[in-house]
Amino acid sequence: MKNSTLIKGTAAIAVGAALLLGGGGTLANWNAEAAAAPGTIVAGDLNVTAAAGVWTDRTGATININTYKVVPGDKLTYTQALTVTLVGDKMAASVVLANVPANTFTADNVAISPLKLTNTAGDVTSNTVLKPVNGSATQTVTASTVFEFKSTTTGRSDVAKNYDLGNVSYTLTQLTQTGLS
Amino acid sequence: MRIKRSLQAAALIAAAVLLGLLTVQGSYALWNATTSAAPGSVSSASFDMAMTAVNSGQTTNMTLANGTAATLTLSPAGTLGPGTPVYGGVQVTNNTNAGGQFNTVITAGQPTIANVSGGTLASYISVTAKRATSTADCSNSAGYVAIGAGGLDSPTVAKNGSTIFCFQASLSSAAPTSLKGQAVNITLPLTARQCGVSGGC
Repeated sequence: MKNSTLIKGTAAIAVGAALLLGGGGTLANWNAEAAAAPGTIVAGDLNVTAAAGVWTDRTGATININTYKVVPGDKLTYTQALTVTLVGDKMAASVVLANVPANTFTADNVAISPLKLTNTAGDVTSNTVLKPVNGSATQTVTASTVFEFKSTTTGRSDVAKNYDLGNVSYTLTQLTQTGLS
Repeated sequence: MRIKRSLQAAALIAAAVLLGLLTVQGSYALWNATTSAAPGSVSSASFDMAMTAVNSGQTTNMTLANGTAATLTLSPAGTLGPGTPVYGGVQVTNNTNAGGQFNTVITAGQPTIANVSGGTLASYISVTAKRATSTADCSNSAGYVAIGAGGLDSPTVAKNGSTIFCFQASLSSAAPTSLKGQAVNITLPLTARQCGVSGGC
């Protein structure tokens, strides 16, 4: 019985070794491989920068608002170009302005058009959706306001008055689009 | 039952908070950029018209710091008598700090002549005026005319420019000698106004 068990064990080992040799035989079969380049994921861009603002008088001449003193009849226009950068296949954004201080002159003596934004398509409001333009990563949005000191001002009303337009902020915010979450 | 309701309420609150957080976080997840600009301050000019008496050199602004109209004594030169008028004058200077054009016109109104201390001299006094280009012209009797109802206008006075009004007080030859030593107060209102920006004065 002892010999029988020994024989059986030896046979089992032999069968296992044969199986292992048979497995090694699969390495001899054909195989092939290929490489792929999934590409690079590139992020878009969103930014807004402001150029220096320009004040002009009624004749269109540029003035220095830090030294210029207005009198009744004066009409000043402020213009500032904003460079809006929008890059991305699903990029869309809106731009809004804030922190426009209230007028400090006598209301009846001045006509002030609220600071507004425009582009080549017209007025840009908080509901306007800006999208990337073909051929350029940037587009221009113009901020402008008009201050008129009415010539109907009487007496010495609003002499030596000051209206500080403060720090106006322009915020560009990405809008969610179909395919974004 | 009470424990079950508490657990249900807690779960509901947690779900609401989670939903709220997710909603808020969602809006911040998108890009945004901000820039700011300081357009500056719009400042109005002063309306300073300086008056200088020709004879005394006394100077004042037409409008005082408290907003009231100034009074300038012209102190006529000489002693008034029949055939010997006296002269005075005022130089008005446009001292505005306006950034652009600021033309003005000054108008001398009709005089008011008032007796002093119960005298009767006023009815024998006449006041005439003229525009001049130098203070020395005031002592030249030529060119004086009565001031009309509309007053006597100066030429256009531009920024930093000035104009001169001369005044002459004359005593009627019919004045009796009893008026000797009497005095009158003569008041001459001066008004400065800005000319139209696009038009003339």
